[in-house]
Amino acid sequence: MIRYLTISFLVSLFFVSCSLKTTEGLRQVHFNETEVENPYFLNPEIDYVYKAKIAIYKKNFGGILIIKKIGPESHRVVFTTEFGSKLFDFQFEGDTFTKHFVVEDLDKKFIVNILKDDFKLLVDEKANILAVYESEKQRIYKTQREDRFNFYFIEDESEKLQKIVNTSKTKEIVAIDFTASEENIAETIAIKHNNIKLTIHLEKFKKE
Amino acid sequence: MRNYCLLLYFIFIGIALQAQETAMNASEIAAFKEKVIASAKTTKTIKTDFVQYKHLDFLSDDVKTSGNMVFKAPGLVKWEYTNPYQYSVVFKEDQLLINDGGTKSKVDIGNSKLFKKLNQLIVNSVKGNMFSDADFTVSFIKSSKYNKAVFIPKDKKIASYIASFELLFNKDDAQVYEVKMIEPSQDFTRIVFSNRTLNGPVNDSVFNN
Repeated sequence: MIRYLTISFLVSLFFVSCSLKTTEGLRQVHFNETEVENPYFLNPEIDYVYKAKIAIYKKNFGGILIIKKIGPESHRVVFTTEFGSKLFDFQFEGDTFTKHFVVEDLDKKFIVNILKDDFKLLVDEKANILAVYESEKQRIYKTQREDRFNFYFIEDESEKLQKIVNTSKTKEIVAIDFTASEENIAETIAIKHNNIKLTIHLEKFKKE
Repeated sequence: MRNYCLLLYFIFIGIALQAQETAMNASEIAAFKEKVIASAKTTKTIKTDFVQYKHLDFLSDDVKTSGNMVFKAPGLVKWEYTNPYQYSVVFKEDQLLINDGGTKSKVDIGNSKLFKKLNQLIVNSVKGNMFSDADFTVSFIKSSKYNKAVFIPKDKKIASYIASFELLFNKDDAQVYEVKMIEPSQDFTRIVFSNRTLNGPVNDSVFNN
């Protein structure tokens, strides 16, 4: 009896620690699609400009985030202070990353890597689908990049991308929430890290 | 053919509209400096609106933000952006008091030499009186519409952020009406002032933020 309890305890522990929160309560379904798309930064004619608020541990700072599609599969991502001085200037082209500029205080490997991963996740246009899940109101597409997984949550009714969750095999690492009012324009974006106390909140500049 | 004529017309108009710039000679520089310093000395307070244009080469349009600025001698400055978002910064002694749409924070700039320098630049450029600054090489340019002072930083660290700094002055009252900060990449930030009120009453509570 004790042995049975021990085994069942260990088994349940195993399942708890290994199951990913992201897909809890979802049912896996068959799928025909090959790729899932992030529609928010696809138009090369649009300057995507956001007011940014960053909270890191207990510090707050703000700035302006500018995203522009500058070629096929190529995006420029620039962050400036409110006064206009550049803090960083990155370029993503497929899997190639170019650091055009980083202000000295931020130019540390672990900071640049976090920023690089976050903004790559944000601007990546599409990814190959590994699995598809369904909830009551959403379809969830699982994709893979290197040793991480990304889950794209698309609402059934509006067909809008609502969320991207980046995970390891067992844990959620980063979640990006979108609200989109116009077609394919993300009005607000919230990037939230689970392993470090970092959130980036973005709000699209209003049209004049 | 008609389009071609129009194009030529615009090219010529364009050239004609562009103010011819020439370097000032020694006596013009002396007279200009004197006028700016005299004007700065009598300036106790400034209230002005501004429009800021951030130019990045790869963008279709400059990123435009606007607001107002209040200055009170000797060194209190409040920059307030009101469009398209609310954000204000008060430069007060060795601190920056920031109010980012309701989220308040303080930044101590006492031990950051670079930040102090940038702060000093902002305060002095508002007044226009920064010719005696030993950290810059200054050159003076005139045109029919404005006088221009171009500042090039000597310090390598500052030069890695700002390639040059230009102030445009009204010819008549020697007040700064435009500030342009050019980055080493040639991207720039341009701030254009308008609706300026000089020496009106400004309560200290403006700078509480």
